[in-house]
Amino acid sequence: MLQNKFNIPAGAYISALQRNRVDYVVTVPDWVQLALHCQLQAGVEGIELVQCCNEDQAVCVAAGLSIGGKNPVLIVQNQGIYGCVNSIRALGLDAQQPLVFMVGQFGREFSNFGKSPNLSRRNTVRYLEPVLDALDVRHWCLEDESDLPKIDQAFSYAQRTSRPTALIVGAPTGWL
Amino acid sequence: MNILTACQAIQEARGHAILIATMGAMVAFDKLNAGQPRLNSVPLMGGSASLGMGLALAHPDRIIIVVDGDASLLMQLGALVTVMGKSPGNFHHFLISNGTQFSGLSNLPLPGRQIDYCALAAAAGYPITHRIQDEKNLTMRIEDILSSHGPSFTDLIIEPDPPIFGPNSPQQDWSDHQFTRMGDEARQLATWLASRGAA
Repeated sequence: MLQNKFNIPAGAYISALQRNRVDYVVTVPDWVQLALHCQLQAGVEGIELVQCCNEDQAVCVAAGLSIGGKNPVLIVQNQGIYGCVNSIRALGLDAQQPLVFMVGQFGREFSNFGKSPNLSRRNTVRYLEPVLDALDVRHWCLEDESDLPKIDQAFSYAQRTSRPTALIVGAPTGWL
Repeated sequence: MNILTACQAIQEARGHAILIATMGAMVAFDKLNAGQPRLNSVPLMGGSASLGMGLALAHPDRIIIVVDGDASLLMQLGALVTVMGKSPGNFHHFLISNGTQFSGLSNLPLPGRQIDYCALAAAAGYPITHRIQDEKNLTMRIEDILSSHGPSFTDLIIEPDPPIFGPNSPQQDWSDHQFTRMGDEARQLATWLASRGAA
């Protein structure tokens, strides 16, 4: 099977971003979310794409947009979160910006889909949730389409609390 | 030129431009009582250019002045490329080039020597670069720089202030303000911008 229920269609993510009035996607590309990247790169009405050289810069650009009254989302992968912890601390937590991350679980074994990432053999996958927990960044896992309402919850929580949140994209976004 | 005279020239020409500073420039603008619209990347070395770029995209109608430090920029050198990815015309990037870390505190040397920051900015695609060595030239050129269509990059050659730390004057505790001011300033700036309805 080329795609299965774990591959939430990229179009469903786009709809969720539009529903949550996202106007900027700030990103360092993620292997897991390539189908979503390709749709965004092709152009989505109302959403401007900002590509950054690394995730520290992405966090800062998104914070500047947020302070300026815009509603960005960050698309990165798990390694990117590990790389920009200090920027999350500074701008998400200290400066209390409502930054919403979509974080791909790069390296997750396909056999692990639908199971706990804690059972992964790979540190890259297994450490993501503990790192977010250590930073007190609330997170939601997106495993199949029934989880899509969690995207709305994450945006709502970020705005209500002025805190960063993370949506963990568990499997490659669907191309169809 | 020292950091205070350089920042004073920027402050005097700034008008209502949004000012993003970090490290030594932040301290200098504090001494100059620089007010809104203003935000500091603190404590966060390397964040000012990307923060400024986000604001430049959100408010293309406003001039954005970033006053970066050389040690800070070296931590996020790729930010020059990130900025040029969108090439905001309202973005003006100044660099406090004093060749030191903890400048005016312990003046530790940077890892590199004779770094050509204008060449780095130009290689990243900045269409306008300047290197200014003295206050007179800065004062004379600052208005032209700020009225130009950017992004512009201006390397300010700064003589470091003498170090103040040593055996008879060790470090003192930081005030909490150093760790809360970015959040306070972000809220104040967001309110200032929203009250003008430009977002």
